Amino acid sequence: MAISDPDRAPDGPTDPTPTEPRGDGGEPVDGASAQADPDAEDVTESAGAIDVSPARPWWRRYAEEHVAHLVVIVVLGAYPLLHSALVASPVGAEATMLLPDIETMTAVLYFGLFAMSFDFVSGYTGYLSFGHAVFYGTGAYFVIVAANGKLPLVPHTTPFLVLLVLGGLLATVLALVIGVVSFRLSGVYFAMITLGVSQVAYVLVRDWGFLASNPRDGPFVVGPEGAAAPVFSVGIPFVDPLNLDIGVLTGDSVVLGPLSLGSTEVSFYMVGLVVLVCYLALQRLVHSPFGRVLVAIRENEERARAIGYDTFRYKLAAFAVSGFFAAVAGGLFAGFRRSASPDNSFFFLVTGDALLASIIGGFGTLAGPLYGRLLDETVREFLSKEGAGGGLLPYLRDTLPESVLATDIAGLTVQGAIETFLNGHASLYIGLVFVAFVLFVPGGLLGYVRARVGGPIAKQVARRIRGEN
Amino acid sequence: MSATLLAVLSAVPALLGELVTLPLVSYIDTLGQFLRPSTLVGVFVRGLSKSAIYVMIASGLTLVFGLMGVLNFAHGSLTMIGAYLGGLIMVLAVTGASGTVQRFAVFFVAVLVVFGALSALGGVVEVGLIRPLYDRPPIYQILLTFGVTLVLDELVRIVTLFYGIQPISEWQAALGTKPEPLTATIELGSTTVSGLALFEILFGVLTVAAVWAFLTRTRYGLVVRAGSEDSEMTEALGIDVRRVFTTVFALGTGIAGIAGALLMWDPVWGASVPLAAETLLPAFVVVIVGGLGTFRGTVVAALIVGMVDAVTTWWFVNAVEFTGLPEMFIFLILVVTLIVRPQGLFGVAEVGGH
Repeated sequence: MAISDPDRAPDGPTDPTPTEPRGDGGEPVDGASAQADPDAEDVTESAGAIDVSPARPWWRRYAEEHVAHLVVIVVLGAYPLLHSALVASPVGAEATMLLPDIETMTAVLYFGLFAMSFDFVSGYTGYLSFGHAVFYGTGAYFVIVAANGKLPLVPHTTPFLVLLVLGGLLATVLALVIGVVSFRLSGVYFAMITLGVSQVAYVLVRDWGFLASNPRDGPFVVGPEGAAAPVFSVGIPFVDPLNLDIGVLTGDSVVLGPLSLGSTEVSFYMVGLVVLVCYLALQRLVHSPFGRVLVAIRENEERARAIGYDTFRYKLAAFAVSGFFAAVAGGLFAGFRRSASPDNSFFFLVTGDALLASIIGGFGTLAGPLYGRLLDETVREFLSKEGAGGGLLPYLRDTLPESVLATDIAGLTVQGAIETFLNGHASLYIGLVFVAFVLFVPGGLLGYVRARVGGPIAKQVARRIRGEN
Repeated sequence: MSATLLAVLSAVPALLGELVTLPLVSYIDTLGQFLRPSTLVGVFVRGLSKSAIYVMIASGLTLVFGLMGVLNFAHGSLTMIGAYLGGLIMVLAVTGASGTVQRFAVFFVAVLVVFGALSALGGVVEVGLIRPLYDRPPIYQILLTFGVTLVLDELVRIVTLFYGIQPISEWQAALGTKPEPLTATIELGSTTVSGLALFEILFGVLTVAAVWAFLTRTRYGLVVRAGSEDSEMTEALGIDVRRVFTTVFALGTGIAGIAGALLMWDPVWGASVPLAAETLLPAFVVVIVGGLGTFRGTVVAALIVGMVDAVTTWWFVNAVEFTGLPEMFIFLILVVTLIVRPQGLFGVAEVGGH
């Protein structure tokens, strides 16, 4: 967000075209200037090529640039093994309490993608799309309703990935229609019109008998009448013979040599794969000239218009792209859960959750929302009511001695206090964290780290490897 | 090609299914019923009572936005807290045997207490949380109040769960403290209206009159209006605008609380945690349709939205089997207004242009 507004103003007029690398080759000169604008990131990938010696082949340079990404991917990829190893170790009880389980991690991935798509339009253009849940819900509902054989021209046997893309395209069309009327407005008014449209859709979906037998509870995958419910497989449709099913109940399990992966783990990897592809696509867009124009619009829309960009079209295109990926995220959510409800897909507080993830993770950074959601889900699970995947409550019940639990503090036993303040009330603590971030860390987790290391982490890591600095 | 077309066309009845349940003829029949004077009077009175509720929940919001440019997402939560607080006072003070006069007296005491308590809360929020953000882009104020909503809602949920007053969505104990006349129905010409609806209308009119008088008849109201016109100039004239901001924010949250106290008796709303979201969205619709920051616009928009609500509710009850009909129309008003006249009915184009 326009955190850097005042700092940016001085160098603005001399640097009118956002697509051009800065004088110093796109890299901030020193920590101070990077501190001033944490979003100055990566101007373009080609910009880095200027100061690279010919001895370095492109693939090596590419690998260097993406070391940080690889590390994150490897850590996420190893997480299920790490988790099961830790749970089986002597600190198993603590690990179960602290670490989110694989199902939660899958939720982090697909909702993280939704939060990213929200951030792609709101964090990068500065237009707060407060009704973004409508696209998430469209994707989710499209997948389920199609799988139930209710849509004309879309047979229920359509491969899952095709459904994801079709749902995404539907959301893109929807986004174009909503965008055409909404982008005439800005600021609060834009937030309100998107909120209004999404609430109209929410009410429609909540009461529309066509979508589900009980629309208030939402549809679930039952398959068309007389046919079995389809399973959702991730794999290249019509090409890849190794289609792996996802879903909490219907997923595949796979044995790879000494490794055996349960259905939850397979779902985690498959959902993760789709999210990774979407992330890379979004990252490509953000780093392209198109993405730079979006940042220019956020920083100063009038100036962007003055130098000849049709900002309306750019905003509309960003909105459409964002709608597409939001719907893919919704489709993954529906594929994994095999059900959706108006309240967990179309409701405006779902957008609020994406906003939460974006602010905590870093508004205007693409990967930030994923980390924000990770924190959000981890805290929620840590303080969850059931504690199915561990959490603080069962841990304290098991480990604290009876005498401590019965101790009376100001009219409330310790057990009572735990039940009152920790039992599923994660929203309170998440809300406090959120307020603290808005007040003290406006750049979010990733923005803060970037400001500290002096630029995007991937770039900095690459520079260290090259021995620059 | 024609096969595809046929496939699509054959799906249309299924798609529309629940939306169109009655043939056109019976709609015309229902229209005749609707246009009967007794129906119209009944709908009009219900519309007025709904308008009164809408103006109550929206006027605090518009005051704050008009002066400070802060779109307060926590407004609904404050209304909800007002409903619980008011309900709590009523339940504690009123026993089954209390007479009508006593109950009314307790209600007005409750209103005063709620107003005081929520004004104080609003003042603290403004000084502690919003004030540090004035030099940031306005989006941060939205974000901050959104975070405050999360915290307040969850706190209320903890407290209500602890005291066991949340198991049902409407808090029946508070509903039961209504004075005798409000539970009765009153003959009005050839139709009947509930006493509660008339009381809500009266209460809404009184609140509007009070805020109106404050803004136009008091010196402080003059300062507030000057501040919202041009805060720098007001500052230059030697007025501490920051203190005015705090006062108006406290006033706005106080009014939100009073609205909650009124809602605790309404069987449709009632004191519950989801009330926060349920009142926040209509309040947004009303202030946006009226024009952000104009009090006159808010009153007119509340009348429009209230009337549309009453009419569509009548149609839902009598002809159209679609539960969300009134709600959908309210949001459609918002969308259409923003498309046709983005600044709202009485809004000035540049007000809140951020």
